[in-house]
Formats: sequence, structure tokens, C-alpha cells
Amino acid sequence: MVNLLKPSSWFASPDPLIIQNREIFSRFDQSRPLTEYTFVVCDTELTGFDLKHDEIISIGAVLIRDLQIDLGATFHRYIKPKNTQHTPATLIHRITPQQLAESPPLEEVLPAFVEFAGSSLVVGHCVSLDMAFLNRAARKVLGGTLSNPGIDTIRMARGYRRVLSGHFHGEEDWSRSYALEALAKEYHLPTFKSHDAFEDAMQTAYLFLFLLKKFRKGGLLTLKEIYQAGRI
Amino acid sequence: MTTFKENDVHVVAPEVAISFFKGIMPFSTLEEKTLRSLAHHCRIDFFPKGTRILTADTTELTHLYLIQRGGVKAFLEDDNGEVTLKDFRGEGAYIGALAIIRNTPANLNIETVEDTFCFLLPREIFLDLIENQASFAHFYLKSFSEKIVSTAYNELRHHKIARRSNEDLYLFSIKVGDLVKTIRKVVSSATIQEAAALMSEHHVGCLLVHAVDDPEKIIGIITDRDLRKKVVAAGLDFQQPVQSIMSGPVQTVLSQALCFDVLLKMMATGVHHLAVERTGRIIGVITSHDIMLLQGHSPYYLLKEIRGQQQITDLYPLAKKIPEVIRGLIGEGAKAGNITQMIAILNDHILERMLTLLEKELGIPPVPYCWLLMGSEGRREQTFKTDQDNAILYADPADEAQREAAETYFKAFAAKAIEHLVNCGYPLCPGEVMAINPRWCQPLSAWKHYFERWVADPDPQELRYATIFFDFRAGFGEALLAEELRNHLNKQIAGRELFLFHLSRQCTEIRVPLSFFKNFIVEKDGEHKNRLDIKRQGLTPFVNFARVLALKFGIKETNTLARLKALMEGELILGELWSAASEAYELQMQQRLVHQLRQIEAGINPDNYIDPADLSDLERRMLKEAFTVIERLYGVLDQMYPVT
Repeated sequence: MVNLLKPSSWFASPDPLIIQNREIFSRFDQSRPLTEYTFVVCDTELTGFDLKHDEIISIGAVLIRDLQIDLGATFHRYIKPKNTQHTPATLIHRITPQQLAESPPLEEVLPAFVEFAGSSLVVGHCVSLDMAFLNRAARKVLGGTLSNPGIDTIRMARGYRRVLSGHFHGEEDWSRSYALEALAKEYHLPTFKSHDAFEDAMQTAYLFLFLLKKFRKGGLLTLKEIYQAGRI
Repeated sequence: MTTFKENDVHVVAPEVAISFFKGIMPFSTLEEKTLRSLAHHCRIDFFPKGTRILTADTTELTHLYLIQRGGVKAFLEDDNGEVTLKDFRGEGAYIGALAIIRNTPANLNIETVEDTFCFLLPREIFLDLIENQASFAHFYLKSFSEKIVSTAYNELRHHKIARRSNEDLYLFSIKVGDLVKTIRKVVSSATIQEAAALMSEHHVGCLLVHAVDDPEKIIGIITDRDLRKKVVAAGLDFQQPVQSIMSGPVQTVLSQALCFDVLLKMMATGVHHLAVERTGRIIGVITSHDIMLLQGHSPYYLLKEIRGQQQITDLYPLAKKIPEVIRGLIGEGAKAGNITQMIAILNDHILERMLTLLEKELGIPPVPYCWLLMGSEGRREQTFKTDQDNAILYADPADEAQREAAETYFKAFAAKAIEHLVNCGYPLCPGEVMAINPRWCQPLSAWKHYFERWVADPDPQELRYATIFFDFRAGFGEALLAEELRNHLNKQIAGRELFLFHLSRQCTEIRVPLSFFKNFIVEKDGEHKNRLDIKRQGLTPFVNFARVLALKFGIKETNTLARLKALMEGELILGELWSAASEAYELQMQQRLVHQLRQIEAGINPDNYIDPADLSDLERRMLKEAFTVIERLYGVLDQMYPVT
């Protein structure tokens, strides 16, 4: 029976993965100590930034548990695009069209990623872009969007700069770059080759760990406090 | 699913970990496959600057830490909060290995001195590698073997100084069967007192305990420790049978086992007495002390040997053993200040023995004299093979006949002494500041006159050359003569601001070598072959500073660290400046010692030129910080003696 008053029922009912995902985050509590959360730091490679036409061609991710990067929990998949005409971007991504053509489709990779992410908070560098593409894909493949709260390392970096400069309310210093590579260099982080979803995810994980622990040393012990301080 | 392999979640190899492991010993010896599996078990953690990672005697190690980026300091803290810095460790270094292997809590406090990323390797996996990979046991045991008996923990330097092959040979070639002494045992029904008496009689620290019915059947062992802990401390009756306090059954090793393997077993189990078994029979006991003696180049033994010599020529080979002893000390992590003191003590003993024997040979000197040591010897700051800087100061002769007798005697005495010293490996002084030079073999009145002239009428040119004389101390003979000269000198200097001004100017002439690092940072590709003279540019400013202020304030010490300390205690410099200067000075001394030691091992004549390429990032940063202290010292001098 289709209940016309419930918009969600206009579409096919969501995949069990999505239902489970919603349940996990229905009673999400921001006030627990940071050590109790797991984070999935992820990065996607796209054929372009157009949400209507472009697609995800690679997902890389790594888990952070106990505030440590867990190298035993990594995720890296290439995805066969629906439209095979996206060649210019693939050059940047060091993936040959041949490799992409042999990769599994989104229908196979996305559920694996959702399972991998589990109850973790999604962390990304400009995470809204990744989430937009992931959610569009999830709506299509799984009939619903992901409920995992997102954390943006760009916003954290801005918060950190504000703390360092002591300007909490003044002008933002946007003259300095917030690009992943630039931040890694500024904070003397070990660096990774860019434009590879997994390597970028690792780079973001290092950045996230760095910022998180800097905040923590400054006395911010719960997720809520971090959200408030960095307005992440 | 027919995807290519990289698409499998479980095959994504964290390249970052693998390439890190490939770059550090002993992981670099592992197979690719093993490295990949290791990488999957690792975690990465970040510790902001100033984070305490381990606390001595408290933290239980669940992981081995390997520094990917950043640096830490290792230190001990006593009950009064007094901190002893043991070590700095930088990228590629490990933390916690010793505690994991010995199954104890951390032995040192570890704190990050900069933002630090570490790979964390689970304890079980590390132990598994130690057990199953020969290269691992070898690597870590080599760096720990001295530490079991000493409290020094300097892992950094263990990486920097390659071990001498013959030292390894002892551990790797000698079998425990060769070390075992006569077996000492006692029947299990004997009383504790009888056993203790037997131990005293044979001068041994442990006895094997055999069954009543069969002397060949070893059922346990008692040690000094058992007597102390289980008997005396517990107030147990001495008439109880030894059986009641023994440990049994006894852990055994085979007589053909290598000392290396036995040491490993002792470290892993914490049992330091093992019974040695040959063809099914226990033939004796081996202790960790027995094995440590194999490696020992103990300063104490050398000292005893020097004292016992009756022929000057027999001192030659002993003097040449000094670098070996010093090497051991550096390896054990002794601080530079202690090392140079030790070198001075050993050199002084060679000198004392030599001149004592020489006096016997040439007869009693006509007047009392004092053999003076100048420059770095005078400051007790020699490293390896420093030139001779010495002189003779003798009591003023009573008359002309005595004057002639003294001149003749000391001329011959000096000539022989200098020759012997050369044969001992102390090269001649190119500036001829030696007792053999008639100018520097003079009675007290002449010496007083020298100093009066230098102080009253300072010629900057001559002063530059004369500074080493201001660091004189008594090396051998009548020390009162040297003390009288020092008192005279201090009286002369009081209020002689012009002299102190020149001395101070001369000090600040040496440029602070900070630009060295700027150059280096810019010229990364090694085109810039700019080397650092760590003695002239790095250490001399501290020596000069301490000398100027010591002379100004009449401090009798000649050693730079002692001078600085005396200045601080007299509240003549700030306590904070004192600690910064002492640390910076000692750090550079250490760099210099390690540098020279490596040269000696490579068969090169030791010098003071440090190639920046040989320094790690952390070392460069530390040196740079040390150099900034020089600017502060110059600031003090500039304030005291402004140019205009």
C-alpha cells in the first residue's frame, strides 16, 4: 500500500542498509568524549563538479578509532562510470579509461562503502561536496541518503587559525590557502601524492588527527565542543 | 567479481607505512610480504608538542612507537622534580622497545618536543618479530646489551655509532660452556645458614641445590637475592632447609648456546641465573654479569692497570686504550661533561704514573715543582687526542747554585716527559706551549711576571695567544705552587677593566654560526660544502665567555661548566642563562665527541668539522638552538663592556 501522505513512500522503500544507517544516527549524542567516536575519513574522485552530469569514479577512506588512524581499516575502490566520455578528468586521476572500464559499478561499490562507514562520522576536506555526490548516488542505488554527520577539515582549519591568531570574531584571513596540500605543508604533516582518492583520504586523516588533537590539547574534550569552537 | 586486485579492501596496502618501514632498521630487512602484513596492524597517532607519551615506571607498553615525523625527549625525574635529560630521538627512532622486551613498564619519561606523528606497532607483533626474525633480535639486543647493567639509555647514539666487530664477536662466538666456572652446589636438606656459609667461602652469588639422594639431580637454585628477600627481610629461621627458599626447577641452557642467545633469554624471562647443561648434566651456572664482563671496557680496570705499572713504556699501550673506554661510555649514554671528566682523570693518571716513575729515574728534583696543564687540558675538556699544552712551574730557587741545578734538572725532565707523552699518543703542540720550551719552564716569580704583564698591559695580539695560559691547573706535583699563582693572578686582575675589555672583545669577535644553517636550508642539494667548525664556532664562545667572567669575578675554576655553575651560584649570571648555556655547551660537546669517535673508527684523524649532511633534522634544530644561546652570552658581554 502506498501512503500518498508520506513523501518517502512515493519512491521505492529504502534499502535495509539505509534503514540501519538511519537507526544508528537517530539518537546521535554529541556530548560524548572524542575517544568514543569512530570517524571515516574519505575522499572521492569525480569526473567533474556538476552534480547533474558528473560521477564518482573512486572512493578512498580510512577509519580513525581511539583517535588513531587504523591502517587495518582502509577502503579504496574504483568505479565504472555510466558515461564513458569523461576522459579529460581521468588523466588527473592517474586512472586509465581501461582500468575504469574493468572496475565494478556504483551499485556494487556504494553499499560496500556504506557498510564500511558504519556508525562512523564522515570526515572530509570540503566534505559537503563529497557528501552531495555520495548522497545522490545513495538515493539512486539505495533509495535514501546517509545520516552520518559530516565534519569538514576546512572548517576545522579555519577554527584553528582563528584560535592561533586570537581573532574569534574579526575578519577571516582568506589570503592563505585552505587547500589540502597547503595545509599539510603549513603544519609539517607527512605528505601524500594528491589526486588519488585513497592518498587524499590519508592526507585528510593526518590533517584531521592533527587538528583534533590540537583542539583537544586546548581543552575541547567532546564532539560538541569541537563543533562549537570550530563551527565545523 | 573480476576486478583488479587493488580494488579489494583487504589488499589496499598503506604505502605510507610500507615506505616508512623500508627506510628504517631493522624493518628494512623484512620481506615485502611481511611488511605489508605489518602495515595492516599499525595505527598512526599524533602527539602535539609537549605531550607526555610515556611515564617512567608507570606506563605499560601496548605498542612500539616509531617516530614518523617530529621528535621526542627522553628524561628521568627524581622525587624532587630534578630532571635528567637522557636523549633526544627524531624521525625513524623507536620508543618503548626495551620495556616491551623486558616486560616492564616504561623506563623513561617520553615527551614530544615538537608536533609528532608515530606509527604504533602492537606489542605482540613486535615480540613475534623479535622471536622469529634473526635481524630483529640482533638489532635490539645489540643496542640494549650494555643497558642491562647500566642506567644509561641512549638509543640515538646506538644508531650513530657502528659497533666494533670484535665486540660483537665476543657475544656471537663465545659459548656459555666456555664461561662456566666450577659448579657449586648444596644438598637440599642443608640449612640456609650452611648454604650462606658455603657461598661466602666460595665467593659466589648463587648455589645450585641438589636432591638428597642424588648429587647429580639439580632441583633448584638459591641466590643472594633469595637470602636477602626470603630470609633476612622476612625474618625466616636460618635453620630451615634451603629447599624452603630455593627456586625450582632451574631454568637451563645448553653449554653450546651462544652468549648472545643466552643474554636474549635472560632479557626475555628476567631470570639472570641460568644453569648450564652439557650432555644431560648440569655443569654450572651462568649469570648476566658473567656475560656483561665479556664486553667490558671499564674505566675502572684501566685506572687500576695504569696505577700498577712499573715501566713508563708499559704506559704507552694503556694510554692508547683510553679512546676505547670512552667509546663505551658514549655508547652507554654518558653525558659529555662526564665523559670529558673521565678523559681528564685517565690522562691525569697516565701523567701521574709517568712523572712518578720519571722522578725515580732522574732523582729527586732540586726544588718542588708543579706540572701545569693548559688550554683544554687545563679546563678538563679534552676529547680524543688533543695536543699537549703543558708547562713547568717550580719554586723560586734560594741561590744561584740551586737555580742552575733546577734549570738543568727540569730541562732534562721535560724533554723525557714530552717524549713519553708523544709515545702515549698525545701529539706535540704546534705552538710549542710545552714544558720543553724554556719560556714555559720557569720559577714561580717568572710566571707571576708573565701574568702581570698580560694583565697590566694587554696587547690584543698577544692576548689571543695567551688565553690558554689563563686556564692553567696543576697536573702533577706541588699543587700549592699552582694555587699561589692563581691567587696572584686573581689579585692582578681585580679592577683591570681594560684587560677584561680586550678579552671580552676577543670573545665576541667569533661570529655566531647561525647563518650556517640558513645557507644549509637554502642549499639543500649538497652543492654547498660548507662545514661547521664545532670547536671554534660552537664551543669556543662558551669557553671564552666563562673565562672572561671567571677572571672578572675571581673564580678559580677552569672547567667551563664548573665556571658557569660558580657564576650562577654567585648570582653573577641568571639561573636561566646558566642552564641554557650549560645544556647548549654540553650538547655540542656531545656532537663533537660522537663525530670524533666515528672518525677514529673509520681510521681518520679526528677533527672538529661537522658536515651538516651527517646531522638529522632534530640535531640541526638542537644545534641551532644552542647557537642562539651564544647571542645571549654576547649580549651579556656587550652590556658589561660596550664598544663605545
